[in-house]
Amino acid sequence: MQKWFSAFDDAIIQRQWRANPSRGRGGVSFTKDADPNVATGAPPRRPRVPRRACPWREPIRGRREARPGGRGAGGTPGETVRHCSAPEDPIFRFSSLHSYLFPGTIKSRDMSRKRHHLVPETFGVKRRRKRGLVESDPLRGEPGSARAAVSELMQLFPRGLFEDALPPIVLRSQVYSLVPDRTVADRQLKELQEQGEIRIVQLGFDLDAHGIIFTEDYRTRVCDCVLKACDGRPYAGAVQKFLASVLPACGDLSFQQEQMTQTFGFRDSEITHLVNAGVLTVRDAGSWWLAVPGAGRFIKYFVKGRQAVLGMVRKSKYRELLLSELLGRRAPAVVRLGLTYHVHDLIGAQLVDCISTTSGTLLRLPET
Amino acid sequence: MLGFLSARQTGLEDPLRLRRAESTRRVLGLELNKDRDVERIHGGGINTLDIEPVEGRYMLSGGSDGVIVLYDLENSSRQSYYTCKAVCSIGRDHPDVHRYSVETVQWYPHDTGMFTSSSFDKTLKVWDTNTLQTADVFNFEETVYSHHMSPVSTKHCLVAVGTRGPKVQLCDLKSGSCSHILQGHRQEILAVSWSPRHDYILATASADSRVKLWDVRRASGCLITLDQHNGKKSQAVESANTAHNGKVNGLCFTSDGLHLLTVGTDNRMRLWNSSNGENTLVNYGKVCNNSKKGLKFTVSCGCSSEFVFVPYGSTIAVYTVYSGEQITMLKGHYKTVDCCVFQSNFQELYSGSRDCNILAWVPSLYEPVPDDDETATKSQLNPAFEDAWSSSDEGG
Repeated sequence: MQKWFSAFDDAIIQRQWRANPSRGRGGVSFTKDADPNVATGAPPRRPRVPRRACPWREPIRGRREARPGGRGAGGTPGETVRHCSAPEDPIFRFSSLHSYLFPGTIKSRDMSRKRHHLVPETFGVKRRRKRGLVESDPLRGEPGSARAAVSELMQLFPRGLFEDALPPIVLRSQVYSLVPDRTVADRQLKELQEQGEIRIVQLGFDLDAHGIIFTEDYRTRVCDCVLKACDGRPYAGAVQKFLASVLPACGDLSFQQEQMTQTFGFRDSEITHLVNAGVLTVRDAGSWWLAVPGAGRFIKYFVKGRQAVLGMVRKSKYRELLLSELLGRRAPAVVRLGLTYHVHDLIGAQLVDCISTTSGTLLRLPET
Repeated sequence: MLGFLSARQTGLEDPLRLRRAESTRRVLGLELNKDRDVERIHGGGINTLDIEPVEGRYMLSGGSDGVIVLYDLENSSRQSYYTCKAVCSIGRDHPDVHRYSVETVQWYPHDTGMFTSSSFDKTLKVWDTNTLQTADVFNFEETVYSHHMSPVSTKHCLVAVGTRGPKVQLCDLKSGSCSHILQGHRQEILAVSWSPRHDYILATASADSRVKLWDVRRASGCLITLDQHNGKKSQAVESANTAHNGKVNGLCFTSDGLHLLTVGTDNRMRLWNSSNGENTLVNYGKVCNNSKKGLKFTVSCGCSSEFVFVPYGSTIAVYTVYSGEQITMLKGHYKTVDCCVFQSNFQELYSGSRDCNILAWVPSLYEPVPDDDETATKSQLNPAFEDAWSSSDEGG
């Protein structure tokens, strides 16, 4: 999703620009007379002065196609080419930098307006005039799905930090910040899990936090890591057997006693070997969670980093921070996994409220 | 709307479709209205509300002070400004009043001659509405968190009672004693609910994170323990299945009984298929829930897409049931909201909270048309808003 990265760069550039207005910005024209559309008779584009778009002033075509979130990705990019100053253009339905960066967080400032959009919907009023045009937009197919979100988030994972011993892990809450509809995201992740493309792993620190790993990555890393660590020790064989027989067959998060012993023919001692190797974690008497060996370090960095980033928001005045400002700050030393990684997780887990304002997205700690 | 009316008139469309569309539109316009009020009687927080299913006219409320009040919701005055008055109440001076907080009240499902109430004083009392006397009292060993009587059953008069002990008790109103005990939970039972579709199916939610579905005719344990991960089903596994990652506080069946909604202290709400116990994976986001006892939420009835109204801190969050989208947050209470009920005839929502108020949320769709009539110029304002200032007062 190249658009995401260009808008993210935008956030950095805009912050720098604000600090030093004499620097020019690529792609933005500050003159009011360059207006290619005038000749065609179309209404003139707004001049690209760096003034924030008011999210309430939606373009008319956006309002006509307003529908209550029934379509995957939030809003349409429109039929125009996006420039670098895209965040200022109210092309999206709830346009702001945040919905571009984090399309999973369409929280309108004024909830009652959303209800009034839904009212004509119940009467089936036919306002879907431009539907054909919108759906043929080639930019919209893939980007709204969970698969694309997971691949994109995998890029954020710092592989070098763990010296390639860990497969890249992404959290479910991060996927929620990129895919606007949570139910759709959950269902797509479930499909991917059933097809065997990803494994979902229970991360120990919070029962709700699930880690997502590509099956291929998991298999290669666990093979390498476990075999390297335990050459000649008894559990190498058990782990090989597990990877070969159980992983492809059973896509669940957890395994039960009778499943392991009867269906797959593991003995109790072999199961103990698996737990020692770190591939299984105890859940209850007779049932185990799937685990990633060596994930302890990741979990430690993650929990500390999450607290640190939340602390950054908490310590600011009024306990709120503009997203662009947060991303532009220097990360404290505790944050090893990267600020964007943690911000995605905080937004998706609803640990901060995302509010769209005229200056961009605001992250605010919830009152409760 | 006019299109719908003419289609209905000519027979092109089913009459039910217009009704459902208009109900949905009204629910989407729910708001606090200065013209509608509920008389304030309670001196403590309001724990439970129930509207009678026969006519939708009378509402019972139970409070933390042990008081039970009966309100008449119908607006029989000709004015738009209306306060729902209390018809009668069981106050602190009543000889049979509950000693501690009333946790659940429920009308007898088939008529308004009787209602039941359960309280922290370890009793379940059955009241006769007309005389306001207790017809029967069931005593338990532990405090009672919740009780429910089947809304559809004609074959049995069992009241399911959830107490602080791990056993669910079924009390029979005909014989006056406890007839069944359902064993299976490990901690206190915070909510019980009968299915509106089958006479004998009961759902119970407990602080041990489990929700169990029972057929009360079956001797050998529960039918299904709901599993949030939708893992493989087998007997040995049942003990490890959890519906939530914290206590399960509230249960509500949808009005057709096909789905079950549960809320838990892990700040999640889940929608389950009630016939096979599968998690439908509809994600409502974070539904804040800090309640140490049961949370009473409700589902709308008769709309084209059903809505669920959940108390969320001091507001009420409204979501569509099957897609998980948050529609709005109804703000108006000053303190935590504990319960809400939906009146399906007029699409109104009543909610009770710890600030001792019951608020009425009324669909507001049109501005009232101003009357041109001379006689209507007299003010229809609430007397509390009337201005008592007069220019003839002498200044100091």
